[in-house]
Amino acid sequence: MKAIIATTIFGIIMMFTGIWVSNKKTLATLAVLLFAILTGVSIWDLVTTPANAPQLLFSNMLRMEHYSLWFNTLMTAVTFLYALLMGKEIQKVGAHVAEYFALIFFILCGAYILSSYNNMLMLFIGIEILSIPQYILAGSDKRNLKSSEASLKYFLMGAFSTGILLMGITLLYGAARTFNIMEMVSVLHSDSLDPLALAGILFIMIALSFKVSAAPMHMWTPDVYDGSPTPFTAFMATVVKAVAFFAFLRLFQVSFNSLSSHWTIVLAVITAATLLVGNVTAVFQQSVKRMLAYSSIAQAGFMLFAVLAVNMWAWQGIIIYAVAYSVATIGIFSVLVKLKDYTYDGFNGLAQKEPLLAFVTTIFLFSLAGIPLTGGFMAKYYVLLAVVQQGQLMWLVIFALLMAAISVYYYFRVIIAMYFKPGNPELNNPVTPGDKLMLIITCIIVILLGIFPQLLINNI
Amino acid sequence: MDIYDILFWVLSAIAVSCALGVILSRNPVNSVMFLILTFFAISGHYILMNAQFLAIVNVIVYAGAIMVLFLFVIMLMNLNADVEPQKGQLVQLAGVISGGVLFLVVLAGIKSARPVTIDKAASDIGLITNLGKVLFTKYVLPFEISSVLFLSAMIGAIVIGKKEDAKPIAPRDEEL
Repeated sequence: MKAIIATTIFGIIMMFTGIWVSNKKTLATLAVLLFAILTGVSIWDLVTTPANAPQLLFSNMLRMEHYSLWFNTLMTAVTFLYALLMGKEIQKVGAHVAEYFALIFFILCGAYILSSYNNMLMLFIGIEILSIPQYILAGSDKRNLKSSEASLKYFLMGAFSTGILLMGITLLYGAARTFNIMEMVSVLHSDSLDPLALAGILFIMIALSFKVSAAPMHMWTPDVYDGSPTPFTAFMATVVKAVAFFAFLRLFQVSFNSLSSHWTIVLAVITAATLLVGNVTAVFQQSVKRMLAYSSIAQAGFMLFAVLAVNMWAWQGIIIYAVAYSVATIGIFSVLVKLKDYTYDGFNGLAQKEPLLAFVTTIFLFSLAGIPLTGGFMAKYYVLLAVVQQGQLMWLVIFALLMAAISVYYYFRVIIAMYFKPGNPELNNPVTPGDKLMLIITCIIVILLGIFPQLLINNI
Repeated sequence: MDIYDILFWVLSAIAVSCALGVILSRNPVNSVMFLILTFFAISGHYILMNAQFLAIVNVIVYAGAIMVLFLFVIMLMNLNADVEPQKGQLVQLAGVISGGVLFLVVLAGIKSARPVTIDKAASDIGLITNLGKVLFTKYVLPFEISSVLFLSAMIGAIVIGKKEDAKPIAPRDEEL
């Protein structure tokens, strides 16, 4: 709760600082400082909550479990890392730097609600607080037509999917007669089930699949991720997506667990379609930014495994996956924004010109592809383990492994371009020692996650 | 069949037929008009359920503010002609099939739903006193936290609406 209050206040502080301070660099520094404090506040939240006694707040609106607070802390830390890596690039997007950072603070407010909601109303408000700032960030580069298109497309599709979510919540309320996701459990039983509840679950599943860009609700993703300013794409594709998954998992694990025989097959088909569409389409892309958009769809397919496996392993899986995927993707994007040309050819010869940049990119791509000794491998291992433990969807696990093999092709194309093709990539501005230090730290985090994944799951 | 039932059925008939009118009429202005009528019919339902406050808010906010804004936008953009783009046969077929399947799912759900009868006029849950009490006790957190939502929407209006140095630049990465 402290973190929710703090992030809202910090957002307002950013807004008001924007009135008096016009120096973009000062604003970015202030934002980084506030993100650091926010990380501290969420750690404070974490340590003051006893491990086995979830806090119920505001007549059961929020239920702060230990693992949701731990997830909050991790996501805040990732955002802090994001601000350090991308702060300079965010200043270049447009004139309203203070507002951009304020919106990111508000997105985090939505994230904190979504990780610990205990009521369908809070789910709805959380999803909206998470989405509306994103529509604005997507369109923040007003001089670029593609950015405006991305914003409008995202807004219209997002509003539509919110409508579906509300419809689902209404139907579910009609069947369960409560908004509380814990009380719902006692009403929703397989033997005396109101069919309205099933229709409601279907609607909610579709709306949440849209938010996490699972196929066939993924159509908006490539255009929005490609059109938005790159620094904001990096945020949308990582922290926001991970939080939406956490909310998805929370609802389906806590409330609909006993009904899993009804929805597992639908979600399994969605997962298979997501893996197929994401990986196969990514192969045919020429722009690395667009390839990363499709790769984020493919990675969403893997995260859906955590939702499918309705057991305790799923929590570990989603937390490791969220962090490993977010850190690696933010790293890749922070290299990408430094380049002028976003196509594969733009990476030609990067290894000769900037060996360090090429090296860290290789590590990040290894992690996304799931090569051992990187965080991505452990993440894939844990989510697949969760489904194997559940023991019913072995065909899907094998299919996912096949798709992971395909993903190696398009990730390695970048590595081949960097190391084996001659060329002289143009950089937007020279890479400073500070940038290098941050990239090395990010790289160390990725490798550390691959060697000691227990660091992330020991205390849940 | 008392007066309550008669009113209920009349209002329901108006609501459903106007809702159909929204999607069937080709002229956007007519659609908006039908939508306003639908909102009025639904407000009538609220009054039948003894929820006067909701009825008034529904009329003021939806029928009054939002729909008038809609109408202004449609008229300012000169959309009142029949400009609906024609979709391909295949898309139409896909729409009919998926819409029909969804309709079946919801119909099956509603058909076998177990309705609860509430004491219609005796319930005073929709009265403004009770609404206020619930809003500031049980639902105080969603009520307060939605201010963050409105704040970010306001920032959005400023960020998107404010004039920036008008120097159009070409999209960075060309479409393949």
